[in-house]
Amino acid sequence: MGAVRRWTVTNTVVLVLLTLHVLLVVFPFIWMIYSTFKTNKEFMRSVWSLPTSFSLDAYVGAWSGGALGGYAVNSLLIMAGATIITVAVATLAGYALAVYRPRWMPAVELGLTAAMAIPAYVALVPLVVMLRGAGLLDTHMGVVLPTAAFNVPVTIFIMQAFFNTLPRELFDAARMDGASEWSIFARVALPIARPAMFTAAIVNMIWVWNDFLFPVVFINSPARKTLPVGLTDFVGEHITNYPVMLAAILIAAIAPLVLFIFFERQITAALLGGAVKE
Amino acid sequence: MSTSKGFGNSHNRAALLFLSPAFLLIAAFVAYPVVYAGWLSLFSWDGASAPIFQGAGNFVRLAGDPIFWRALGRNLLVALSAMVFQVFLALCIAYCLVRIVPAFSRIFLFFYLVPVMVSEICIGLLWRFMYNPYFGLVNAAFGALGLDGLKRGWLGESGTAFSAVVVVMSFTYLGLYVLLFVAAVRSVPESVYEAAEIDGAGHFTKFFSITIPMVGDAVRANSLLAIIGSLKTFSLVFVLTNGGPNHASEVVSTYLYKMGFGSFEMGYAATIGFTQMLLTAIGAWLVFRYLKRAGVGGRT
Repeated sequence: MGAVRRWTVTNTVVLVLLTLHVLLVVFPFIWMIYSTFKTNKEFMRSVWSLPTSFSLDAYVGAWSGGALGGYAVNSLLIMAGATIITVAVATLAGYALAVYRPRWMPAVELGLTAAMAIPAYVALVPLVVMLRGAGLLDTHMGVVLPTAAFNVPVTIFIMQAFFNTLPRELFDAARMDGASEWSIFARVALPIARPAMFTAAIVNMIWVWNDFLFPVVFINSPARKTLPVGLTDFVGEHITNYPVMLAAILIAAIAPLVLFIFFERQITAALLGGAVKE
Repeated sequence: MSTSKGFGNSHNRAALLFLSPAFLLIAAFVAYPVVYAGWLSLFSWDGASAPIFQGAGNFVRLAGDPIFWRALGRNLLVALSAMVFQVFLALCIAYCLVRIVPAFSRIFLFFYLVPVMVSEICIGLLWRFMYNPYFGLVNAAFGALGLDGLKRGWLGESGTAFSAVVVVMSFTYLGLYVLLFVAAVRSVPESVYEAAEIDGAGHFTKFFSITIPMVGDAVRANSLLAIIGSLKTFSLVFVLTNGGPNHASEVVSTYLYKMGFGSFEMGYAATIGFTQMLLTAIGAWLVFRYLKRAGVGGRT
């Protein structure tokens, strides 16, 4: 676009400033990564220097010393459950809003936007009462259902933004052939929507994996805790061995980072699709 | 809308069916609990024995509770700082990435987004190291600059705890707004800038007189997003200071958590949340209206 511009002093200054700033933003992560290769003695000697040796003791200590593996399994189960429910429900709803455009759509959109603005902690005490009544307190399902519900509105907007890009003739043609509304959705829309559903699933996976408020309140049994909640316990117990602590933090942070590295394009598209809607 | 007139009724029915699972889920786990919070706020309740009806008692208590109002004030300060250090700063960064160093925009965007992806608990735990009073990097940096007088336990002192948390928030959420603004700034047509360049406009002029007015919709949407996010904030505060020391960095969410699940004053906790939600709704509406009237969103 436009003519190629000359590289000027301004460009250099901006590049240097941005580089310094972004280094500041990611420094804690870089430091975390290289510090995990230190021994505790080396860490205490100089906290910020690069490791002189390459020790994997911290990872061994983190994995064997705590229940991180169990926490990870719990996180995985809750993540899978909430993501599947959210994406399934939001795909149907996003399709309905984009393709049928019902008369009352503005009211629905307003309601969804309002639901997005409600802080989850407002529902905290009532949800505890409800989950206890249903026998779901301190279970995975007790975290899955409210988590899914709170993620549904933004995921609907992500799916709606996708279905809006499809030409409506696609569905009208199937309708002319006498296909039922459900089979139009299942046979025409769903196959095309698979990449968009995948995209919505990835961001939901990251949100659920990182979620803290619901798991910390709804789950008490150590055996059912998620990784971020378990991590806060773990850190309290390993306050003396810093590389082990950092390795544990890294283990908790790695899954979303790996997803981001592999699916950067899908994740940024989803964040844009859901947020642009406002 | 007019295109669907032909089979309006059947379409509305199909739409309703497709939307019903979402409606049910949101009604059961978002809408109903919120209404229920309003009901619970009329009782005093320890979570175990029978609730005692209080009428407006909890609201009277809340109205005179300085910790709540200071916490709410801090939520607003978080929102204010988010406007400056997340939304506005992100817009500046997005302009630089798109207009000045486009060749590097993808790699910068990637790194700005890293903290957005990672759990706030992990980020908070890492920053506890940065702020450590004995070996923390923040103190080390001040020491290296010869400013030993500024060394302190940032998260442990009531004078600095809240500011220290706000700094972490700015670093953590900035990337999301950079991403959103990069998309918006990219959508401004090149020809508009070319016209300004003929008039000899520099980057500073172009940023303020072209980019900002042209991405008004994104500014409005992202501001709303930042304000809502600031009122929701919980995890970072919880892990960094848990609202301490002595409520010095308390926000509404951490206060509610302590009341409900520390002191087991469930009714009062529900009152805190319900009131906060009403104030959030009013606040968001006022800001939205103000921005609309001020014409930030308009094309003028």
